[in-house]
Amino acid sequence: MSFAKQLNLIDYSLSSLWRRRFKSLGVMVVFAGVIFLLASFQMTTKALTSLAAESLAFAPEITIQKMRAGRQESIPVAYQARLSEILGITAITPRVWGYYFNETKGANYTILGLDPLSMPLGDQLGRAIDQRRLPREHEVVLGRGVQGAASGSGSSIISLFRPDLSLKAMTIVGNFQPETDFLTYDTLFMGLADARDLFGLPPEMVTDLCVTVANPSEVATVAKKIASLLPDTRVVTRQQVQKTYQSVFGWRSGFASVCLLTALTSFIIFAWDKASGLTPEEKKEIAILKMVGWQTADVLALRFWEGMIVSLLSFVVGYTLAYVHVSFFEAALFRPILIGWSVIHPSIPLRPTVNLGETLLVLCLTVVPYLTATIIPSWRAAIIPADSAMN
Amino acid sequence: MSTALIELENVCKTYNQGQANQVLALRDITLTIAANSMVCLRGASGSGKSTLLSIIGCVFPPTSGRAAIAGKQLTRMPDRFLTIHRRATIGFIFQHFNVLPELTVLENITLPLMPLGVAPRQRKERAERLMEMLAISHRANFPARQISGGELQRVAIARALINTPPILLADEPTAHLDHPLSLAFMEIMRDLQASGKTIILTSHDRLITEHPAVERIIAIQDGKIYVP
Repeated sequence: MSFAKQLNLIDYSLSSLWRRRFKSLGVMVVFAGVIFLLASFQMTTKALTSLAAESLAFAPEITIQKMRAGRQESIPVAYQARLSEILGITAITPRVWGYYFNETKGANYTILGLDPLSMPLGDQLGRAIDQRRLPREHEVVLGRGVQGAASGSGSSIISLFRPDLSLKAMTIVGNFQPETDFLTYDTLFMGLADARDLFGLPPEMVTDLCVTVANPSEVATVAKKIASLLPDTRVVTRQQVQKTYQSVFGWRSGFASVCLLTALTSFIIFAWDKASGLTPEEKKEIAILKMVGWQTADVLALRFWEGMIVSLLSFVVGYTLAYVHVSFFEAALFRPILIGWSVIHPSIPLRPTVNLGETLLVLCLTVVPYLTATIIPSWRAAIIPADSAMN
Repeated sequence: MSTALIELENVCKTYNQGQANQVLALRDITLTIAANSMVCLRGASGSGKSTLLSIIGCVFPPTSGRAAIAGKQLTRMPDRFLTIHRRATIGFIFQHFNVLPELTVLENITLPLMPLGVAPRQRKERAERLMEMLAISHRANFPARQISGGELQRVAIARALINTPPILLADEPTAHLDHPLSLAFMEIMRDLQASGKTIILTSHDRLITEHPAVERIIAIQDGKIYVP
């Protein structure tokens, strides 16, 4: 009986919303917009965090960088020898890792110079390259984003400026596979000597030393030992980098969420106002319903179902639009806020994930406040005396 | 002899009690109306007849006195139970018809059945019987705003009858109808009385007060029953 009654009330709610379709649509458009913003933010943050985690899975367990006056400077390759006494280190790979700004294209490239054969499983790096061939002297492998931005002309040569503005020409011998996009999209991969030459580093220097540790549970201990043996260096573990990423994205996402929650609050006030401002026709309708036998609880239930239908429809529309925005438009609205400086990179494809917990969180942050905000106006409407229909 | 369906004893109604704008609308009304009768409450505007109709219609309880409608005491009855009693006992026909203009005739008639959980098919069947009786079946799917005044009133009558209440109340029912439609309305009322309904009308239209079906006229003046 009660279930049948609720079905009747839902039926009436739908027809009531349709009769007031312009007002209902107005509320839904604004509400869906707020949900779209919140969900987009959440999905973008989640996608970026996941991508960061994926990239770190391939990062060296420990990276050693030389510091002077609180800033990073080149590190001598000879430092490797001083670490030979630490047990647990499987390999130390010298690496040149830097950024190259292409003024013409307005793009920032990542330059990776290393000798793959000197690192564990380095020979397998060729699998990530379409030609299955590692670069030799004066050769380079490009990420897909660089291929598009740097050599759109179809040339097999790429020329880059050294610090003294002389040109360094390199032959493109392959591209990274699409599956490695997040790691390699903006990357130029070359030999150690070529990278040194490009950045003007002396032959005995690199930017950092990558340490591979046999036992993952010993990473922290090994890092401590390295730090004590090389006091002028910064020893960064993969876990520390991961934490930094999380806090950077978390802070930016949190800051933006606060702004969006302000928008949500404004919307709730707007919803309150809309729900409170009953037109004379709506008041008359409620009085008639009560006169013909509807109870206050029935009118309240009717208003609740109206709110539920409006908020759930808005949620579905807003959430779907957010997914499309992040998946197909790469979160164009929020990239500058969340990714910051790296907006000048070639763009990175984002893969949003939809999981129950995150969806429920957005649902609780939007639908629940809306329903709560409309309870009191609904109650005010529901207690309109039946006899007002007689006047 | 008919049994009393409506019994009022020393009924008073005060609006805004205890406030500066307090209004004493009814004073010491004592009245008995038998089942299956047709009664007309007559009085000038502001005399208190609509307030009396509201108490008989279980819209609100009296401020003091005893009111028993269809065997239930209204005094101090909570609003929730008043509503339940009203929808089981009373059918209202309003002066301005009070149908919802955007709803169809069928939807308007079935409105009282929705909170009772009556399934759509049953709602339709019950409404179709009434529409046939009142000759408005051809308007079933028309929005109420598109039909004539006479048809609107029949919709209001059908809506009042959909719960098969024993008492039918009509507040100034012919105020917005021309002479032929008013006559037709009274014929419907006569048929309904013949089928066992108790009918209470408020009016100062002579067509009603002098209609042969109306068994009794109760004059109200300044919130009291007036005996000339």
